[in-house]
Amino acid sequence: MSATNRDHDPALAVDNLVKVYPGRRRQPPTRAVDGMSFEVHRGEIFGLLGPNGAGKTTILKILTTLLPPTSGRAEVLGHDVVSEPLAVRRAISIVLQETAIELFLSVRDNLVTFGKFHGLDHAAARRRAGEVMEKFYLTEYAGQKAQDLSGGLRRRVQVAKTFMVPTPVMFLDEFSTGMDPILKRTVMGYLRDEAARGRTIVLTTQVMTEAEELCDDILIMHKGRTIAQGDLNKLKLLAKDVYDVTLTFEQIPPGLAGELEALKPQRLQVDHGTVEMTLKAQEREVLETIASLAARARLLHVEVSGASLEDIFVELTKER
Amino acid sequence: MRGLEAILYREAKIRFTNFAWIVWDAFYPLGYLLVFGVGIDYALGSPLRDPNISYNDFFLGGVLAMASFGIAINTAWGFFLDRDNGIFFEMLTYPLSRAEYLGGKVCFNVLLAIVQATVTVGMSALILGVKVKPALLPWLLLGVILGTAGWFFFFAIFALRIRRNDVFNSVTSIFYFVFLFASSIFYPLDPLPRWFRSVALLNPITWQVDLLRYASIGLRTEHLVAESLAFAGFALVAFYFGVRTLNRASS
Repeated sequence: MSATNRDHDPALAVDNLVKVYPGRRRQPPTRAVDGMSFEVHRGEIFGLLGPNGAGKTTILKILTTLLPPTSGRAEVLGHDVVSEPLAVRRAISIVLQETAIELFLSVRDNLVTFGKFHGLDHAAARRRAGEVMEKFYLTEYAGQKAQDLSGGLRRRVQVAKTFMVPTPVMFLDEFSTGMDPILKRTVMGYLRDEAARGRTIVLTTQVMTEAEELCDDILIMHKGRTIAQGDLNKLKLLAKDVYDVTLTFEQIPPGLAGELEALKPQRLQVDHGTVEMTLKAQEREVLETIASLAARARLLHVEVSGASLEDIFVELTKER
Repeated sequence: MRGLEAILYREAKIRFTNFAWIVWDAFYPLGYLLVFGVGIDYALGSPLRDPNISYNDFFLGGVLAMASFGIAINTAWGFFLDRDNGIFFEMLTYPLSRAEYLGGKVCFNVLLAIVQATVTVGMSALILGVKVKPALLPWLLLGVILGTAGWFFFFAIFALRIRRNDVFNSVTSIFYFVFLFASSIFYPLDPLPRWFRSVALLNPITWQVDLLRYASIGLRTEHLVAESLAFAGFALVAFYFGVRTLNRASS
């Protein structure tokens, strides 16, 4: 295949992938991934979403050569994860779900060691470590051993490592765990920049707003299977009759909570004067409901929005 | 090669964060020889009929084998540390083969074992007058390298398969007892009961000790060549299974 053709190939290609974990101690086998197929294009931020136990981490483990699939194929930049694991590993860097850090080494040495593993010579690794520490506000901790850092700082070092070398593909498994909101926002900006430079980023997250803000393409999976895939707009069409409604009353009329329960909202929260609910209904019905509530008590604030990614996620995964 | 170099760098960096550990590794076989060896030599004398061979001469090969065994257990235990730190699985996604990963770890330990052997052999000759045969030193080097690698691969299989630190410690304690005492480390096998001799001759550490004893003081056993070849085979088989176990470690 020519280099030009390869540039148009997807960064990741997964075809009918299956992973079955054998049962332990008389437990039946677990089919963690059940015939999944998808592609991720170069320079894309791809979100793999699903409830706990959906199989997201298993897919990531297969794509990063940590686990062999039971059947099916997975390729990273055209390299098969089973027959060409080394070529795959040369193309990737990963932030695992668990904290992964050299506890006895300093922050700088953690970064330098990572750089050396990925082919940087010592001088280049040290230089790059300096730049990355600055980028991640780690310079003041450069000489501190990782064992003396807080959990959040350890996570920051772990994410920072993936910026040491420009591997074409990055995998981030719940990367923002333990990060404060300011740093999280900064890192999300960095990720967008990396994607703009052509790096492909695959992330799994439980934080839907993260996926909503970052991802060009989202795959929602459940029990090892794909249940929806597309960009945010396409996914929103799947839940077009779902609305988030927020109403703030001067004083909540008596018995309102019970009446709202009768509407069978997907989510309902009544807190002091504010009602937050997610309704699955047609737009006209939602507006009529709001109008009838407004006639009962004085409304200070009304907010109606289409379904969020979280609503779509709940809608798609709840009944399966 | 870059991968191997990176592993060596990492191992050295971690090891040098604990200087006491390095000093202990370098000097403990000599300490063993100075305390246990001298004690037995004075109390019981030579274990052989040859009056020219003291217990210290005899014990040098044994103590070097014991040191390889000790380094191997400590390094294999390091897998638990790496797993606890979470770094173990991340490292398996780095651009190096599983064989390079194990090879790099073993190279660092071989370097350490060579330093340890140099200190032990040199100081035992100087302080205790152990009659080392300089012409055989290349064989001694080979025995130390092969021993450190072979035992590391052997213990790596268990460290990678066993999930619990305390279970691994129990296993190594049993191995320590069986391998070290049912062997020719502390005493010659000739005067022992036949069943004991048979067990000891099946023990890979006996093969290594006999090679090291020949390579240090020139004392040759009846099956030396076969034992040396068997030990090389043992190291190769352990390497093969070590890599295989590492490949399955994340499954």
